Amino acid sequence: MTSPAVSTRSASEPVRSGTAHWLRSYVMMTRWELGSLRLLLPLIVALQIVIGGGFALGIGLFFDQMPARNALFLATGVAVVTLITVGMVLGPQLVGNQKVAGTYDFLWSLPVPRTTQAAAWLTVNSIIAIPGMVAALVIADWRYDLSLQVSPIIVPAVLLTIGTATLIGYAFAHAIPKPMITQMITQLLIFTILGFSPINFPPENLPDWLVAVNEWLPFQHMAAVVRAALTEGLVDNVGGSYLILGIYAAISVMVSAWVIGRRH
Amino acid sequence: MAGRDLPVTSTSALVVGSLTVTTGLRRWLRSYAMMLRFDLRGLGQWLAFGLVIQVLMGAGMAVMYGFYLGDVPPEVGAFMASGVPAIALIPIGLVMVPNMVAQQRITQTYEFLWSLPVPRLAAAASTFTVFTLMAVPGMAIALGVGAWNYGVQLSVSPMIVPAVLLTSLMTTSVGFGMAHAVKNPVTVNFLTNMIVFFVLLFSPIVVPIAQFPDWLASVHRVLPFYHMAQVIRDALSSGLVTDVGLSYLVLSAWTIVGWSATAWVVGRRG
Repeated sequence: MTSPAVSTRSASEPVRSGTAHWLRSYVMMTRWELGSLRLLLPLIVALQIVIGGGFALGIGLFFDQMPARNALFLATGVAVVTLITVGMVLGPQLVGNQKVAGTYDFLWSLPVPRTTQAAAWLTVNSIIAIPGMVAALVIADWRYDLSLQVSPIIVPAVLLTIGTATLIGYAFAHAIPKPMITQMITQLLIFTILGFSPINFPPENLPDWLVAVNEWLPFQHMAAVVRAALTEGLVDNVGGSYLILGIYAAISVMVSAWVIGRRH
Repeated sequence: MAGRDLPVTSTSALVVGSLTVTTGLRRWLRSYAMMLRFDLRGLGQWLAFGLVIQVLMGAGMAVMYGFYLGDVPPEVGAFMASGVPAIALIPIGLVMVPNMVAQQRITQTYEFLWSLPVPRLAAAASTFTVFTLMAVPGMAIALGVGAWNYGVQLSVSPMIVPAVLLTSLMTTSVGFGMAHAVKNPVTVNFLTNMIVFFVLLFSPIVVPIAQFPDWLASVHRVLPFYHMAQVIRDALSSGLVTDVGLSYLVLSAWTIVGWSATAWVVGRRG
């Protein structure tokens, strides 16, 4: 009974390809990812807002009087941290959950181009990250009385930052088979991002060798491009930061393409 | 089948009748020693791994706060260096202990552990001992790195022993009580993360409480975190802390709360 039905259908339907198919698959996958998070989605977005706002307020308690320069670094830095952590910490942990729950292999078996799955992932991460970023900025602006100057460059800066962070997270989350190791890497990343990268504080607070190390890591460059779009005179050589982020993005795309293209 | 079962049952009943139920201090100590071995073996590689993480975190925390502040004047440095040991102690009791119990629930060893023929208090005491021992190296490293990093001369007094023991006992007690009272492992994980967030950012541990808004300072006079920092700081410095007796009192009260919650959960059946 089943075999004729299967053969009839596969014979009558051509293999679909082309932009229309890709777009349709992309929309379906985005709905799929949003749907699978369901109730978790508003919770995660709310948590992002609380954590972003919490950081902006909490660090202020360490200072008797926070200097204006520190406040600007903190406000813009916290916004960047929310973007990075969604891409490089939350994202990989969600992929780890899929592996534990056994839905991971099922997802790969769906009849859609695998690039649409990556694109959908990027979209979902942006939906999660951007409200937290905005909240952090608004709260910090109110608390520290800043004069932020938002320029249109903010759009490419945020997209590049979240894109690069998501792709790096995507690459290692998919390349590493064990969710436990992914979990450990994400914890280590939070520690590095919050404590040892000049995102929330000016680089001159770090020892020279750590400044040199950070030149080669993506974190401070993510902060630089976003900061340059929000303030004036705080960042110089933003072009270099765009370049380094571009290189990181390209490498992550290649690793991701290799990971999602391979077969078991 | 029934015919074969019957004599077996009656024999074992006879054997049980001839045994005396052991009680008293000696049995308690023996049970405690056995549970200690059981816990250490059970943690296995985890123990070494946990220790390494603790040491790294302790050292990391000790320098991290300085990066945020930039130029650290000597008096602020003294506060930081004497505050980081408390920061290093908190995750053990309030994060690792609850998550360990949650893990036991997931792997279903939880019920098994309670079924062991040892006094339940001995089992709980063993957990406190293991995690206190685990906390000490990270705390010592945090203290050393902090003092070096901020160029602070700390004078360690013998009071450090009761201060650390009470602090550690308090956090493990509260963590233990929380993990036993809250049944859902996901909720436990969420709670511990929230506690870490709150402790690291919104607690007067590495900074003076005077910098806090009044309402938050009042909250912290009731919560244990500020008082943990107080008793440890008092044992490491002179002149920075006043009214340390009150802090010991508050910590003792929290320890009792933790033990009461644990005792209530541990003592009931089913």
